[in-house]
Amino acid sequence: MSKTVQKKKTIKPITVIIYIVLIILAVIYLAPLFWMLSVSFKDNAEVMAAPFSLPEVFHFENYAQAWTLGNLGIALLNSVFVCGVTLIVSLFFGSMAAFAISRMRWKLSEATHTFFMIGMMVPVHCVLIPLFVRFAKLGLTNSRVGLIIPYITFSLPMTIFLLTGFFRSMPGELFEAAAIDGCGIYKCFFKIALPLCRTGFFVSGLMTFVGNWNELLLAMVFISDPQKKTLPVTLTYFVGPYATNYVQMFAAIIIAIAPTVIVYCIFSNQIVEGLTTGAVKG
Amino acid sequence: MSKKKMLSVVLSAAIAAGAMAVSVPVYADDVEEITWMFWDDLEATEDLISQGYKEVVDRFNKEYEGKYHVTPITTNLEEYDGKLNALIAAGQTPDVYICNPGPNMDVYVEAGAAADLTDILENQETEWYESFTDGIFERLTYDGKIMAVPTNYAAACTYYNTEIFEEVGVEVPTTYDELLEVCQKIKDAGYDPISCSGGTAWCLSMIAGYLCDRQGVDLNAIADHSANWTDEVCIEAGKKLQELAQYFQPTAAGDSNDQAVANFYNGEAAMLVQGSWVIAQINGNKPEFEEKCGVFQFPGIEGANDPNRMIVKTDNLLMSSKTEHQDACIAFMKMFTDETAQKYTAEVGGKFPVVKDLEIDYDAAPAQLKYVDDIMATATGTFGFYNESLDSVEAGDCFDNAMVDLFLGNQTPEEAFQTVQTFYEDNVWE
Amino acid sequence: MDKILRNKKAICIFIAPSLIMFVLVLIIPMVQMFYYSLCDYAALTPPNFIGLDNYKKLFFNDSTFRIALKNSIFFMIFSGVTQQIFGLLLAVLLTNIPRGRNVFKNIFYLPCVLSSAALGLLWAFMFNPKIGINNLLAKMGIEGPLWLMESTGFIVLPMWVIAFVALWQYLGQNMMLYMAQITGISRDIYEAASIDGASKVKAFRYITLPLIKPMVVTSLSLNCIGSLKFFDLVYNMTQGGPSHRTEVLATQLYAEGFNYFKYGYASAISVILLVMCLIVTLLVKKVIKVETYEG
Repeated sequence: MSKTVQKKKTIKPITVIIYIVLIILAVIYLAPLFWMLSVSFKDNAEVMAAPFSLPEVFHFENYAQAWTLGNLGIALLNSVFVCGVTLIVSLFFGSMAAFAISRMRWKLSEATHTFFMIGMMVPVHCVLIPLFVRFAKLGLTNSRVGLIIPYITFSLPMTIFLLTGFFRSMPGELFEAAAIDGCGIYKCFFKIALPLCRTGFFVSGLMTFVGNWNELLLAMVFISDPQKKTLPVTLTYFVGPYATNYVQMFAAIIIAIAPTVIVYCIFSNQIVEGLTTGAVKG
Repeated sequence: MSKKKMLSVVLSAAIAAGAMAVSVPVYADDVEEITWMFWDDLEATEDLISQGYKEVVDRFNKEYEGKYHVTPITTNLEEYDGKLNALIAAGQTPDVYICNPGPNMDVYVEAGAAADLTDILENQETEWYESFTDGIFERLTYDGKIMAVPTNYAAACTYYNTEIFEEVGVEVPTTYDELLEVCQKIKDAGYDPISCSGGTAWCLSMIAGYLCDRQGVDLNAIADHSANWTDEVCIEAGKKLQELAQYFQPTAAGDSNDQAVANFYNGEAAMLVQGSWVIAQINGNKPEFEEKCGVFQFPGIEGANDPNRMIVKTDNLLMSSKTEHQDACIAFMKMFTDETAQKYTAEVGGKFPVVKDLEIDYDAAPAQLKYVDDIMATATGTFGFYNESLDSVEAGDCFDNAMVDLFLGNQTPEEAFQTVQTFYEDNVWE
Repeated sequence: MDKILRNKKAICIFIAPSLIMFVLVLIIPMVQMFYYSLCDYAALTPPNFIGLDNYKKLFFNDSTFRIALKNSIFFMIFSGVTQQIFGLLLAVLLTNIPRGRNVFKNIFYLPCVLSSAALGLLWAFMFNPKIGINNLLAKMGIEGPLWLMESTGFIVLPMWVIAFVALWQYLGQNMMLYMAQITGISRDIYEAASIDGASKVKAFRYITLPLIKPMVVTSLSLNCIGSLKFFDLVYNMTQGGPSHRTEVLATQLYAEGFNYFKYGYASAISVILLVMCLIVTLLVKKVIKVETYEG
């Protein structure tokens, strides 16, 4: 604090205005989230009577109840499993395709790139019905694998888009030097391209992970076994047919978003850097 | 091409291996495994009826251990039909599944996804069949075939706050005109006369349904086009809905069902038109309200239809027509209607049992249940929720939405019913 | 070198996994969807070919579709315009403050990583007629509107509310993209400009804007497509109500497909959605490219 006071003399009025605007905006951004946190500690009657006050008594049991009743432990594991597998496979497949598109020389590379980019435009809803009918016949509905397959597919366009940018930004001499040293194409990919692309993996991985972690529609339609549900689906279960348990719902929401918030807080700085290279050059 | 083929084979093999790795069924060979599909999460639910169902499932798995085992497949209410449809389309119909009566059930029956239970009930399980309340299978019968077994039913009544009524000095209204007078007096005294939810369309639609029926709208006549939605009786009912809507709480349009109910048990509103499941919700949230909560029959309209008809709704179990474990299914369904389950339904769940000769301990049951039961005894006929009694689910939604539009003042009664009429002309009467 | 990079077998192996997944999970179902859109297909009965009837009904005989189309287009234009302008503005503000840049940036980007289903539930609660914002307004003696249940006007109030929430949630995305681009511009250019006597505003107009143009294409097309296929927030805040007034294409598609099981009809909507996405992407690319050449 004392440092800013000392510096105040050199700060221009325009900067002060900018700060005020930013602080107001920050409040608009954070207030709803804190409000949700506060609601999650109340009981239902208090929410209806005094929604904005701080909780009179902290009902930590909301969390315990949400955790056990909503089967959040299992849901959390499922989400981690599904998103984890999707992450690894989509990064691997995506990087292979991106490498071939950006670094290898063939006639159809641009066309292939465009083809994959179409995937970004296709809403999941468009393939929901045929996909479900097909998967049901193959016995893939109500299994985590049935969820992972479309997740991977819908993660690929973004991954390929970002990674293509990364591979293109790498100096071509690297690969030429490697080739002169007698490296095969696979070695070039695994030993040179992949290790250099760590930031790219990081960014596209994070985006894939976050996207799938929050995915609701497919998970809702595909999975019905309570033992295989993912977190977002579980949230909707607190809205009952005739009555809604708000406090437990909000407690469950907090539990569900906590992992993303934590991961985000730790890695947020790396995201910008990665987004730049990927999106700008792609 | 062959390379692609090979790769796809490798890929699908990998996928299959993955599938096997994650889902390993661990049941002994001689246990008959069945599935039951339900529209509420049995663990997270606050709903007392759902909790009762969970007990049935647990009891079944314990009692028939080593012989039968049931696994519930749960969804939330919103997704229920979507998932059930998808499962049926995929040839994975759950062995037993729950279903609303009306057009919802028609879909499954017409698709051949429900087993005909007539023979089982009439010839094999006669004792079970005879234990049911008379006439309860009426709405579950198609072309003389019984397609479902009910587990409970709920009736829609008007709940009222006796304290407010006393304070204002009004009596329970028996006619629509009296109802309006009572509302006006309550409003003058500073309370909201009626609590209703416009945000949850079926709440509003329940009042609209009552008004239509009291006015004399004949759904059967409309279904075969010998009557129209634009007939005078419908318009008249619409006008009454508008009239009554002035007495809803000011936020009725946006309030959810929960809020409307809370509004009532917190003493802000004097009346609430609801299904009997609300009893559990009221008493659960505000136990001290039980003694000041009265119940009366939705008032009749003088010179119009029979004022003693009630809206009722059953929960029903259907058995898959393709099940390989019929005995297990029957044993499971029977458990829903045995004495323990039915007593729970009445005494804890706040819905009505579907079997005769059941001793209900009214002291153990919520006070309101007895009042509703007394009203039921005088009922001369029943009809379903309007949105579940029309030709299709979509028609039901169309009716609900027309009533919301009417209530919000976007449409006149004539316009609102014209919307439904047009829908019927385009989709139903073709 | 060249030979290695032209290795056909390697290309096949690299491309194959993604390609196969794409074809199996995306392309074939899409073709199937297109076929279904020409059929009368109720979930439990096999599809029955009826030609263009579904499309005829959509365009000439379905008032809900007209509302959904109107709302989707409104939503796209609103997000396109506001997200670009405010995203860029925010990025410029943030790059011009001496300290605390990271803190603000992280706060504004935070909602992007949260589940919009969860946020939808939260905001629906906020815009409840009694509990949320109206409770605050009531304390100040103002009677707030019914927010999500207001139903008058060409674009109804709930649509504005949802659009605002979407802006709140996804603004950070554009801010990030623009910030990345702006911080990538060399400081020297600005210094040179300021030596030449150019004001900050001028520097922005003649240096920043032209240099970030490529990013506008990316972020605007992502924006537009994102808002066309927007589903979660609407579904969790209004479910298309009151009386279909906040229906967008994605929610109508879902309702027709999974509430009424009109698979064929729903498929026709998704074909239209897809076509709109394609048109918008091409349009954005074309318009902005032309400008770059002229500028």
